[in-house]
Amino acid sequence: MDFSAPHAGFVIASYLVTFIVLLGLVLATWLRQRRAREQLKTLEERGSRRRRRAGKDGDSA
Amino acid sequence: MKIFLALIARDLTLAIRQGGGVGMALGFFLAVMVLLPLGIGPDLKLLQRIAPGALWITLLLSVLLSADRIFQPDDDDGSLELFSLGLMPMELVALAKAIAHWITTGLPLAIAAPALGVLLNLDSSLFLPLLAAMGLGSMALSLLATIGAAVTVGLKRGGLIVSLLILPLYVPVLIFGVAATAGQNAMPGVFGSSLLILLAIALACLVLAPAASAALLRAHMK
Amino acid sequence: MQKYANPTRFYALSGKVLPWLAAATLLAFAVGLYLALVKAPQDYQQGETVRIMFVHVPAAWMAMFCYSTIALASAIGLVWRHPLADVAAKCAAPIGASFTFLALVTGSLWGKPMWGTWWVWDARLTSVFVLFLLYLGYMAIWQAIEEPLRAARVAAIVALVGFVNVPIIKFSVDWWNSLHQPASVLRMDGPAIHMDLLAPLLVMGLAYTLLFFTLHLIAIRSEITRRRIRVIELAEVQG
Repeated sequence: MDFSAPHAGFVIASYLVTFIVLLGLVLATWLRQRRAREQLKTLEERGSRRRRRAGKDGDSA
Repeated sequence: MKIFLALIARDLTLAIRQGGGVGMALGFFLAVMVLLPLGIGPDLKLLQRIAPGALWITLLLSVLLSADRIFQPDDDDGSLELFSLGLMPMELVALAKAIAHWITTGLPLAIAAPALGVLLNLDSSLFLPLLAAMGLGSMALSLLATIGAAVTVGLKRGGLIVSLLILPLYVPVLIFGVAATAGQNAMPGVFGSSLLILLAIALACLVLAPAASAALLRAHMK
Repeated sequence: MQKYANPTRFYALSGKVLPWLAAATLLAFAVGLYLALVKAPQDYQQGETVRIMFVHVPAAWMAMFCYSTIALASAIGLVWRHPLADVAAKCAAPIGASFTFLALVTGSLWGKPMWGTWWVWDARLTSVFVLFLLYLGYMAIWQAIEEPLRAARVAAIVALVGFVNVPIIKFSVDWWNSLHQPASVLRMDGPAIHMDLLAPLLVMGLAYTLLFFTLHLIAIRSEITRRRIRVIELAEVQG
């Protein structure tokens, strides 16, 4: 690409905004999934811990 | 059929008694017609050119503003649940409410529009086309408004969503309405074809809008 | 389709497909960007600005494709009550809205050097703008209605009503006025664009599509996870 061509700035701006928006989208989607997975793991550990404790004490939920 | 007419009559009576409907819509229309020249400037030629568009936009907004009146009061006092119990299919309930809304809001505004158009120096040859197009178009507007009202019934902050959902639906009515009103000067035959398209849109809304509103109301009440 | 109705099964299957999908997406973008920025020649009329087409047109394609996906998923959800249909519709919306936003912005950046104005109210651009509003309205419904089942039904109906409306709007604005270039890629007698410009366009189109599928899959998995969390939290409160 010829960066000194007239209106080259418009081309750069277009690709830049595309990159920023798509990158933001990818990050947002991926981080949401990661946070959800971690939250699920915590909850499941809590659940299994409680069930183990309940088993030891001999009383049922 | 009797129940259908009774429902319309009930809504009309309520609207007249409470006085909210027609008066407020007309007041809003009037206010905008006063603000527009003040905002744009007294250039009569300019005002005359924008008059058809401005009148139609104000009609759209007036109908939109009164949309939450369609189902919310009935939802609040439990009448909506009674209706859903089966005396009449929900589609006909929605249709009856749309007709009542049109009679109390759209139609009066359409009739008043030429008179208010004088404030914008509307060309007098456009009075009849305006009346015809708005009479037809306002029916479509009321029908489409019931869809938005059905979506947001029960929501607290439904106002913005209603606008966001309904205005795109209003765009074709606006375009063909303005074309029917003012297009004849630009191109002969435009009035006829635009009016026919408006009729087609109104008929389509007559069938589709009650169906969509009924489905949405059923989702709300489940 | 019934096989994938089970969210857990879908989750497991999609987990296997995802890495490949992501890799394919990156590859497509790499090739596409190379073709778009290095290999493609200047247009004899538009100069360098023709390269904007390679990010604008795919974005516009995806804007329509995503909304069609939402409409299809909504219809399936309403008619067959497929459990993942509503999820698929809900998750496609932010992605589609982003593409639509990009289509509008890049379209503006393309229009200014080409026609001298940042914006024109012709059929194509107006429809895309209205499409953006439709996306926002659709997402607002999911936000505003708390009950998930009711939100799903209302959103589905709204999506279908909007879907019917888009071609009508396009027709009406077209009827009223038009300035945009006539469609020059999908034509019965072959594309009107020169091969040198067509290849980058198609590859970028493929890259955008793959990106959508990748992100859509991740978002659906995310939603499935979140619903699982909700179920567990409810059980904890009760038990």
